[in-house]
Amino acid sequence: MNLFNKPTLSTDEREIIDSIAQNGNERKKGEERLFNRYAYFIKEGIYKYSLPEEDAFDLYSDTIISAIEKIASGSFQGRSSLKTWLYSIFHNKYVDLLRKKTTNKSSIHQTLSISDLLLEISDHSKSIVQKLVDKTDWEILRERLVQVGENCRQMLLLWADGYADKDIAGLMEYKTSDVVKTTRLRCLEKLKQLYHNT
Amino acid sequence: MENYLEYIDAYFQRMLDPEEIKRFEQKITEDKEFADEVAFYLSAKQSLKAEGDREKKEWFRQLLAQQKPVINIDRNRLARKVWLYRVSAAAAVIICVFLAWSMFFSKPASPQQMAESYINENFKTLSIKMGEKDSLQEGLRLYNEGQYDSALQQFESMIQRDTGNYKVKNYLGIIYLRLGNYDKALQYFKQFEDDTLYANPSQFNQALTLLKRNMPGDKQKAKELLEHVRDQDLDGKEIALKLLDKW
Repeated sequence: MNLFNKPTLSTDEREIIDSIAQNGNERKKGEERLFNRYAYFIKEGIYKYSLPEEDAFDLYSDTIISAIEKIASGSFQGRSSLKTWLYSIFHNKYVDLLRKKTTNKSSIHQTLSISDLLLEISDHSKSIVQKLVDKTDWEILRERLVQVGENCRQMLLLWADGYADKDIAGLMEYKTSDVVKTTRLRCLEKLKQLYHNT
Repeated sequence: MENYLEYIDAYFQRMLDPEEIKRFEQKITEDKEFADEVAFYLSAKQSLKAEGDREKKEWFRQLLAQQKPVINIDRNRLARKVWLYRVSAAAAVIICVFLAWSMFFSKPASPQQMAESYINENFKTLSIKMGEKDSLQEGLRLYNEGQYDSALQQFESMIQRDTGNYKVKNYLGIIYLRLGNYDKALQYFKQFEDDTLYANPSQFNQALTLLKRNMPGDKQKAKELLEHVRDQDLDGKEIALKLLDKW
């Protein structure tokens, strides 16, 4: 037997990844399977890292959310097993948590990071936008999200979660992705008006 | 105020050509109103993402609540006093009596709910033979510790070596059922449906899985399987009778 040809991912792992990558109704099933499959990491967080139960849950949830994003965007290469890869994220997040605790930073008081989104802007423009973003009143923005209406809110949540307009069309039963795009931008405009009219 | 959202959206969706990208970034530096709009677009997206993640975490919490072996966490093992064990034991007895009562005597709203209760109660842990240390027992130990993926690997490697082992197929079915992979669970349960066994839980477990999957036609198919279990006096008959009673 040639060990070098051994597939890195098991059939079940491959199925989970394929489900999440599909971005439709299948994605939720895949997310559920991913969360359930490695939920024992929470125990590891408690016993191995001596974390309180709530912190271990948060750590694991953040790991799964991060993994879902990477799988959905296609950046998980499958070079290691899903478990190994997931555990490395889990461990890195634990190190981040430790660092935050030792530098005495509470996650509640941190501003939301938009650094990932800013990657797409050139350095020259980045600092201008970053300064403006830093002025955002996140609490007000969050409150306004409730006021845009449930349909708008649902659509915008899917968009922010990385769903393409065509996937949103399928999930929310819109005829075309163009209709979704128009509606989505209208919802965003509504949110902007609500935010600025505070 | 001019509406730039479509233009900004096109930029972040990478739909602009290199020349337009240059103009876009130039505009950020020259037009304060435009830069404000870009900042709003990004802030809104990030705020929505955070909101979505919060909702996802709530959903995860619910999923975890269904995984009793995993959340059976002892927070202060070393500090716990003997009397606390006694109180816990008494509470456990009361809870078990209550659960048994609610499962068998109360009227759940649907057979699906009853199947859910049955799965949570009976597949929470699987019985291990004390003193035996073979591959099967190791797989069961992993399962009982909530290490479903390791248990899966253990049983899957066993089934490759011994393709006719119905016990392993049954355990694989149960793990996939617990993991929410109902198609795969059904596949394994079905594989030993026709095996002549003293007690064959294949059809009963298929019925439970179908009730859990709850896709169009599943409920009816589950009913037919449960009726078959009842008529043929198969494993799971007593519960099948109770489930059919709730139809």
